[in-house]
Amino acid sequence: MRTGFVELRGSALLKAPLRIEGEYQRPRDGTLVREVRVPYAETTTIRAGEVQIARAGKSPRTFSLSRAPELGGLQASFGALLSGDRALLEQHYRIAVDGTRARWVMTLTPKQPGLAAQLRSVVLRGRGAELRCIDTQPIKGDLQRTLLAGAARAAAGVSDASALQALCHGNGNGVAAR
Amino acid sequence: MTARRRLVLALAWLALLLLAGWLVGQRLDLSGDLRKFMPSAQTPAQKLLIDELGEGPGSRLLLVALSGDDAETLASQSAALRERLAAQSRFSTVANGGDDGLDAIAERLRPYRYLLSPTLDSQRLDAAFLADELAARVQDLGSPMASLVEPLLPSDPTLETLKLAESWQPSNAPQRLHGVWFDRAGREALLVLETRAAGFDPTGQQGAIDAIHSAFAAVRGDSPARLTLSGPGAFSVEIGSRTAREAGWIGTLDSLIFVLLLWLAYRSWKAPLLGALPLASGGLAGLGAVVLGFDGVHGITVAFGFTLIGVAQDYPIHLFSHQRAGLSPWASARALWPTLGTGVVATGIAYLTFLVSGVEGLEQLAVFTIVGLGTAALATRFVLPGLIDPSPRDAADSPRLARLWARLARWPRMGVTAFAALAMVAIAVAAWAPGPFWQNDLSKLTPVPVAALERDAQLRDELGAPDVRYVIAVEGRDAEAALRASEALQPALRKLQAADAISGYDLAARYLPSAATQRARQSRLPSTPELQVSLDSAVASSPFRGDAFAGFVDDVARAKAASPLRVSDLAGTPLAASVGGLLLERKGHATALVSLAGLADPDAVARVAAQHGAQLLDLKQASESLVSAYRGRLLWALALASLLLVATVWIALRSPHRVLRVLAPMALTTLLILAVLRGFGVELNLFHLVALILAAGLGLDYALFFDHAGDDRDEQLRTLHAIIVCSLTTLLVFSMLALSSIPVLRAIGGTVALGVAFNFVLALLFTRQPAASGSMRMEDADADA
Repeated sequence: MRTGFVELRGSALLKAPLRIEGEYQRPRDGTLVREVRVPYAETTTIRAGEVQIARAGKSPRTFSLSRAPELGGLQASFGALLSGDRALLEQHYRIAVDGTRARWVMTLTPKQPGLAAQLRSVVLRGRGAELRCIDTQPIKGDLQRTLLAGAARAAAGVSDASALQALCHGNGNGVAAR
Repeated sequence: MTARRRLVLALAWLALLLLAGWLVGQRLDLSGDLRKFMPSAQTPAQKLLIDELGEGPGSRLLLVALSGDDAETLASQSAALRERLAAQSRFSTVANGGDDGLDAIAERLRPYRYLLSPTLDSQRLDAAFLADELAARVQDLGSPMASLVEPLLPSDPTLETLKLAESWQPSNAPQRLHGVWFDRAGREALLVLETRAAGFDPTGQQGAIDAIHSAFAAVRGDSPARLTLSGPGAFSVEIGSRTAREAGWIGTLDSLIFVLLLWLAYRSWKAPLLGALPLASGGLAGLGAVVLGFDGVHGITVAFGFTLIGVAQDYPIHLFSHQRAGLSPWASARALWPTLGTGVVATGIAYLTFLVSGVEGLEQLAVFTIVGLGTAALATRFVLPGLIDPSPRDAADSPRLARLWARLARWPRMGVTAFAALAMVAIAVAAWAPGPFWQNDLSKLTPVPVAALERDAQLRDELGAPDVRYVIAVEGRDAEAALRASEALQPALRKLQAADAISGYDLAARYLPSAATQRARQSRLPSTPELQVSLDSAVASSPFRGDAFAGFVDDVARAKAASPLRVSDLAGTPLAASVGGLLLERKGHATALVSLAGLADPDAVARVAAQHGAQLLDLKQASESLVSAYRGRLLWALALASLLLVATVWIALRSPHRVLRVLAPMALTTLLILAVLRGFGVELNLFHLVALILAAGLGLDYALFFDHAGDDRDEQLRTLHAIIVCSLTTLLVFSMLALSSIPVLRAIGGTVALGVAFNFVLALLFTRQPAASGSMRMEDADADA
């Protein structure tokens, strides 16, 4: 399983949000690979609660998934959604579903106090079987947005924040409806 | 005095002993501290072992593995276990990989990061370097690390804090899964704990181990997970309790045997009670004297002491066997006293030599045995006669004993030639039997099961835990000098690691560089205006805001002006434990230690250490050399003791002939025991030596009493009865010990059992005088029967 992504990463330290493109891969159960291609190359492997980030010419850096709660949400939701395992998702999150099958919104709120102290919610949006957008809202800091699959393809060349939000929310601009 | 009154008095004595035992128990501070037991240290390794370490930096480590459940559950158990145990003051470190080290740097130490991190050794904080770093930080913000690094960035754009935290992680730490350490197969969560109690402190180690087990029981819940504990402390506790269990049931069995034998021998249930009172009084008095005279009684003193005063068990037996109707027990005790007293005084004087040995453990032993034996003898002489049955069956009237005596009387007596020949053979066997004569390795006496050792090696390898046996020591006039010298060693250590001579190492300078190194780094820090210019140009060409790194310039300015960080500045931070275990400071002297993991080639490491003015210490060898020094002192004391013993016996018996008859059997017995042990390939240890002393003491008493009996038939019969009871009880009691699975108990048991047998036979063959008139009467009696 692989799917392209476009991610916007905002920070108070940056003049403008960072736009990153690449691909998520699930080579096997329990492993999630995040491969960044633009604007630089970087491979992140998430497995067994550990995150490893590899960059060309540097020795890889490893840290615990608990240090990156939004990533945990991502991994759990990815895995669960892909395997259609709602029970797995419910282990970690309260789930609220809204919308229609053609345009759905699923809001995940962490159950464990540890995770809840760092992560407010994860909002997943999609069309039918396609997960198109993940909005991760940490307790501290800016919303982090990841566009996936069709939405990511549609986002090619788009850098305007509101246009990207429209793509995420599925307010089709024709490209997405293709 | 009526029988009833005597019994009441005996029971009162017993009650008094129980009370005294309780009182002594209150004040008894039993210590396992090697330092009390061993002679003072001579070599650097011994000094380090005794004065500073206890047993080496690895000896306080306990290795823990959690297994038997899925990895995620084990990980959360590991985290919960760490949280519980880290809160306890018993442990100076509880590590499970869950701490990524960011918290190790206290907030107030953060500006020092540029002095602690090696970055500046090869790099300057110039525009080019900063631009590179900022580009990497942009990537960090776009990566899953973002939330980890973002709060650090404003004051630390080069992420020096993170670099330090990473460099302080164990050099070859195990893999981490779900936030904690796991073995390579990912089945067992691993933890390393360091106790505050020394490795040789059995009580402290027991407390730590109990705390771990109870914490695990609490965090486990209903999970099927299991906890495995390894490391020197875990082993010593495990073996200590196994030895205590085995000694416990052997002791119970021995008491039963003793009671039964005395009951049978004297056909009185009161005999075992009365027989036990002098020994118990002696033991308590000895223990009490040591408690009063020294601070802290060594566990080995108590074990050796009770072994050595075992000879006092025989005193009441002599009184019982010589008692008969018509003889006042007081008169009988008075008649036996010269013989009994000679034995006690001679042994006591011999033990006096331990007092001048200069080893506290031996001095305690001397006080214990002299007071113990003296008390038991005085109790037998001045109290026991009032309590025993004044008219029991005369042992000399027993037909069975008479027949035995007649058979023994026909035994050939051993001539001086045969005696000397036997001694020569024994000496030859003892001297020339193959194999090492002495066993210095105290741990061999209480061996760890092979499976547990293999498990320990496996965990040690997985965790990259330091070697327990070897450590490099770097000496210096003060902490700074020692740190500098150990820093100079680092390139060589890295080479050794690359050559696979070691798999990892740790030293204090890794956490706290010497002040000289810190000053060198300080001099490489740019001035504030300089840094501002470089930073501005680097930021301008980056996606970062112009004011993003305001805190950075301030921190660098503080680092440049600060005075170097010293050991005392670390107090109260997690670094204090890491540094404290590896940097030992004393007045006018400091030692930096380099702990080694996965040591494959000790010789190569020793060579490299020597080239750099350091020393690879073999702590096992050091402790063995201490054992051997202790034994050396003991042997000298014994040599002197035997001279004093001969002199005392000479003064008492006043005849060269009698002196020879009394002392020769015990001397030959000692040689024979040595020959048998050596012949069977047994390596001798301290416990054999102490058992030999007890055997000699028993032999002296047997011989003195046979000598005392003279050529009177009845006296010889009564003496024979006493000595048969004495030797049979001792033989059975120590044979039980000889059957133990624990080598230390086996060493004592086997040696004493052999000694009793040889002493008994030799006393009969050599010391006993032919009963001139008695044998005739005996033959008549036999014919009559």
